[in-house]
Amino acid sequence: MRWYHSLSLRLLLLFWVLLFTVASSGYVLALWFSKPIEPEPVPAAVQASLAPLLSDVETFRSLTPGRLLAGDYRVAASLAPSGQERLQLDRGLAMNHRTILMRQLEAERPEQFPLGNRMLLGPFEQQDYRILLTRPITPGEREEQVLTEKQTQRVQTLALMVGSLGIAILLGAWLVMPLRRLTLAMREIAKGSEKLDLKRLPKRNDELGELARALETTAHDLAVSRDAQRRLLSDVSHELRSPLARMQVALMLSHDNDNHEEQENHMAQLGRDLERLSTIIERILSLSRLENGLVKLQREKVDTRALVEVLSKDLRYVDATEGSRLHIDTDSDWPVTESDPELLRLVIENLVRNALQYTDDRIEISCQTSANDYTMVIRDHGSGVPEDQLSQLFTPFYRADPSRNHKAGVGLGMALSLRAAAVLGGTVTARNHPDGGLEVSVNLPLTGA
Amino acid sequence: MSKLLLVDDDAELSSMLEQILTKEGFQLTLAADGETGLERALSGSYDLILLDVMLPGIDGFQLLQRLRQQARNTPVLMLTARGDDDDRVAGLELGADDYLPKPFYPKELIARVKALLRRTPATSVRQEATEFAGFVVDPANNKATCEGVELELTPTEFDILRTLVRGAGEVISKDQLSIAALGRSLAPFDRSLDVHISNIRKKLPTDPERIQTVRGRGYRILQFA
Repeated sequence: MRWYHSLSLRLLLLFWVLLFTVASSGYVLALWFSKPIEPEPVPAAVQASLAPLLSDVETFRSLTPGRLLAGDYRVAASLAPSGQERLQLDRGLAMNHRTILMRQLEAERPEQFPLGNRMLLGPFEQQDYRILLTRPITPGEREEQVLTEKQTQRVQTLALMVGSLGIAILLGAWLVMPLRRLTLAMREIAKGSEKLDLKRLPKRNDELGELARALETTAHDLAVSRDAQRRLLSDVSHELRSPLARMQVALMLSHDNDNHEEQENHMAQLGRDLERLSTIIERILSLSRLENGLVKLQREKVDTRALVEVLSKDLRYVDATEGSRLHIDTDSDWPVTESDPELLRLVIENLVRNALQYTDDRIEISCQTSANDYTMVIRDHGSGVPEDQLSQLFTPFYRADPSRNHKAGVGLGMALSLRAAAVLGGTVTARNHPDGGLEVSVNLPLTGA
Repeated sequence: MSKLLLVDDDAELSSMLEQILTKEGFQLTLAADGETGLERALSGSYDLILLDVMLPGIDGFQLLQRLRQQARNTPVLMLTARGDDDDRVAGLELGADDYLPKPFYPKELIARVKALLRRTPATSVRQEATEFAGFVVDPANNKATCEGVELELTPTEFDILRTLVRGAGEVISKDQLSIAALGRSLAPFDRSLDVHISNIRKKLPTDPERIQTVRGRGYRILQFA
C-alpha cells in the first residue's frame, strides 16, 4: 500500500474538502439570497430641506469632513477642483469604506444607501465642489436591515444542514457500508463458511481493502485447518480403534481357549497392540505439543556428527543387523551448532527409523554446511515414493504403502520430524533420488533462530 | 453351513475372527485387499459379506458400490474403525445391510451375523405375494413392484418394504421394522433404519413420500385416493 492509499489521509482530505465546500457554499448562497445594497435616489423632500443649507457657495466650500451641517447631518467627504487639500475624507469612514466614498463622490446624481449603522447621502455639488453627507439610520431602516440579516442567516443555516446531510450520506456509503459488509462476513466465518460475500471490497487499495483481503485469507486458512483437524481426528480414531478391535477379539479368544500355547499367542498379540496403542498416543501428544508451541527449547552446543554416531550406536544396541544398515558419511562436513539436542535427535531418528522400516538395504546419512545453515541428507535404496505422493509424506498417518500397514510404523514419524524441524527454525523436504531411493533433506540454521 | 466372506486388511484380526466364526459353525473365506475381495464376492456364492472400509487398493465403499452395480444382493455387514457417524451411514446408503463399528465385542459380531442370516431364509417362509396401494411384494420370486415398475432392492430393503406393505397402511414402529429386516432391535442413535427407508424412497418411480414418516412412531404406506 502506498502512502496515498492510506485511509487516514483520505479521510482527512475528504473531511477537509467537504467542510470547505459546505462552508463556502453557505457563504455563496447567503450572498445570493441576501438583498444587495442598492443605492436609491435621495428623496426629494430631503433634497428640498437640504437645498437652502447648501445654496451658498462660500459656505459650501468651507464644508469639510467632521462638520455638522444641520440636525443629524454631518459631512463625510469633500472634493475641491484644486488646492492642497483637494480631497478630504472622514477618518472613521475612510478606514473601512474608502473605495465606496471615492466612488460615490463620482456618482452622477445624489443617492443614499446605508453604510454600517449610518446612511450615506450625496454627492451634493456647487461649482465643481462636491460633498457627501451622513446621518444615523432611522429605527425603521434599522429594522429592515436586521430583517435582511436574519434572512441571510437562515439561508446559511439551511445550506449547512443540507451540506452536512450530504457528508453523512457520503461517509455512510464510503465507510459504514464496507464496515457492515465486513461484519456480516465475520459472522459468516464464525458460522464456518469459507466463501465470503465481500463484493468488490477486497479490490479496494486502502486499509478497508486490506482488512477484507486479510479476512478472506483467514476464512480460507480456517477452512483448511478445520478440514485437516477433521481428517486427523478421523485418522486418529481409526488408528486407535484398529488395535482395540484386535485386543477385544484376542481377549475373548484367550478366555475361551484352554490350549496353553494358543493362549500365549493371544497374549503376545495383546502385548503388541498395547505397545502400539501407547506409541500412537505418545506420538499424537508429542505432535500436538510441537504444533501448539508447548515445547521448551534448550540451547546448547551440539556436535551433529557425535549426535548421529550416538543414534547409530543406540540403533545397533536394539537390533544389531537393522542398526548396522545405517552408514554415516564421516568425510562430509558435520558442523557444531547451537541447537536443542533432544529435538534435533527426534528429527533425525524419526527419518532414519522410517527409512529402516520401509527399505531393506543400506541407509546413508551425510551433511553439508554453508555460511548460515547446514543440510543433513538421509538416503535409502528402496523403491522411492510416487512423485504425486511426495508432499503427502509429512501428513499424519499417511503411509506410502498401505498394504504394509502393520509392519510399518504408526505413520507419525515424518510428521513429527517436520514439526520438530520447524520448531528449530528449519525445514524437511523429500525427493526421489535420480539413481533410485528416497532422499530426505533436513535444512537447519547454524545458530538458533 | 453358512458361507461368509471377510474382507479386511488387518491380517491378525482376520485370523482371530476366523477362529471365532469357525467355532460358531461358519465357513469363512478371507480377502486382504479390495480387488481380491471384489473378485471373490462376485465369483463365489456367499451368504454374507463382512466388509472393512479402509482397504488397500479399492476401499470398502467402492467394493460395495461395484458389487451392487453387478446386481449382487448378498447381505453386507460393514465393519468400520472410522469414528464419523457419516462414515458409518455412508455404507448403508451404498447398499450395505448393517454396520458394526470397531472395536466390537466378538459376541456382538456373531449376533449380527446370525440375525442377518436368519432373516435371509425367512423370505421363503411366507410365499404369498402381498399387495397394497400400488405396491406388490412377491417373496417367492424375490420381486417387488411399485405401480407396475420393478424395484431394485437389497434384501434388507425388500424386507422393510414387505413389512410395510403387509401392514396395509398401519403405522409400523421402527423397532418392529428393524427386527423384521435386520433381525435386531434398534440401538440408541442408530440411524440405519432411516437410511434404508430413504434408500427405498429414492428407488420409487413416483411420490417418494408415499412411504410416510410418522414422527416418534414409525413408518407407514399412504393410500392415495
